[in-house]
Amino acid sequence: MNYVFQFNVVWDHFPELLTGALLTIRLSASAMALGLCLAVLCAYGKSAGPQPVRWLVSGYIELIRNTPFLVQIFIFYFSLPVIGLRLTANTAALLAMTVNLGAYASEIVRAGIEAIPHGQVEAARALGLKRLQIFRKIIIFPAVQTVYPALASQFILLMLSSSVVSTISAVELTAITNSLQSTTFRSFEFYFVATGLYLAMALAFRAGLSSIYWAVFRRGRPASR
Amino acid sequence: MKVGLRLAVLAMLAAVPAMVLAPSARAESTLDKILKEKKIRVAIDVGNPPFGVLDKDGQPDGSDVAVARQMAKDMGVELEFVQVPSTGRIPSLLAGRADVTIASISVTTDRAKAVMYCNPNGALSIVIFGPQSVAVKTPADLVGKRVGITRATLEEATVPKMAPQGTEIVWFDEIGATIQALLSGQVDVVAMTSFAGKTVADGNPDKKIETKLNVTTAYYGPIVRHDDFELRQWINTWLFINAQNGTLAAIYKKYTGLDLPPLPVF
Repeated sequence: MNYVFQFNVVWDHFPELLTGALLTIRLSASAMALGLCLAVLCAYGKSAGPQPVRWLVSGYIELIRNTPFLVQIFIFYFSLPVIGLRLTANTAALLAMTVNLGAYASEIVRAGIEAIPHGQVEAARALGLKRLQIFRKIIIFPAVQTVYPALASQFILLMLSSSVVSTISAVELTAITNSLQSTTFRSFEFYFVATGLYLAMALAFRAGLSSIYWAVFRRGRPASR
Repeated sequence: MKVGLRLAVLAMLAAVPAMVLAPSARAESTLDKILKEKKIRVAIDVGNPPFGVLDKDGQPDGSDVAVARQMAKDMGVELEFVQVPSTGRIPSLLAGRADVTIASISVTTDRAKAVMYCNPNGALSIVIFGPQSVAVKTPADLVGKRVGITRATLEEATVPKMAPQGTEIVWFDEIGATIQALLSGQVDVVAMTSFAGKTVADGNPDKKIETKLNVTTAYYGPIVRHDDFELRQWINTWLFINAQNGTLAAIYKKYTGLDLPPLPVF
């Protein structure tokens, strides 16, 4: 094949690609924060809540983990308007990503919670700590620390799978790339550069998550006091 | 002396890639390859009624699919379909996954920079349509409306140019998603071919979908890679014969319900 690569077209449109990458970062970072909160709530509900709550959480986790992400996005964007809830593409994307991450991450967090020795909780109770205090200081903090690498991987995976939200017209990196390649017909060049941008974002997120780990778990470690 | 030797070595080094890369004789053309392997690979888009659809048995059908079948039959080679979404029609050809794309690709000068057109095999109109309740009579009425379009289509090339400032254009990757956005009310109106619009309107009578504006009319034809002149010439010969004997018109009538307008050639 005699294909002549023309990357100058890509550089002409590079600011647009960066705008798309910025939305990818914003969506991913927000979904990571919200999804982690949801995951902690669900993990607590599943390991310490009353039976109906456990059932509810299990149902949610199984439903999300056993259906395709694309279908979940379609439901948030195309089906919710039927019951009168019209979300913009970005809101629907963020919601779908949060709900999706929440299900996967809550199983990871729950694994961390179950790794906490029971005696440690009993000791805290004997010392007169309140229920919420025990959960915060004795359970969730060490639990998240234990499973942090697995959580970080899940976060990166979420960032990469955000490329799917272009199907519901959210204009993140993949959407911008698709638009540009379909109007300039330089698909190889644009997809190469988009791949590079995704790689750079994944490495940046990894570095960011590592520094969060050091800042939170290595420096001000309350349990060691 | 020494300088002269260096130059000679440099010249020899420079000549090596040229010798390696230059074809020894005329390279085998795509048409030669098709005839030798007795197989033509045709990229089609089966998500775009009435040009390409899947029938009840999941088999490709539609006017462009029928053209591809007849063409391969007359060429005397086996036909292999390469199913692509609308965004993949040109990339799959450029990547060498298909020899020719027959998927209602309307002729535009921008696309001709990337691929080479054969003569047209049909004509289509891009229209804006939506539910009766949305009032759009002139392009100016589009201001403040959400207009759904599909990437890598003629509407993507034309609607943003005709829509006045203040129109909110919403891009989708596939025609199916664009249609779904209209039906679920995520967009006010959509732009696509009049045929697709009719299919949507007929399938959802409760939505009272009607044509609002005519955007453009265009001719569409098969595309091949730049340099594939032999293949293009064979396809043009086939198009000429089948325009004369009425085969193209019969296929067009069968799938669109309309008479094929006269097709100009270039």
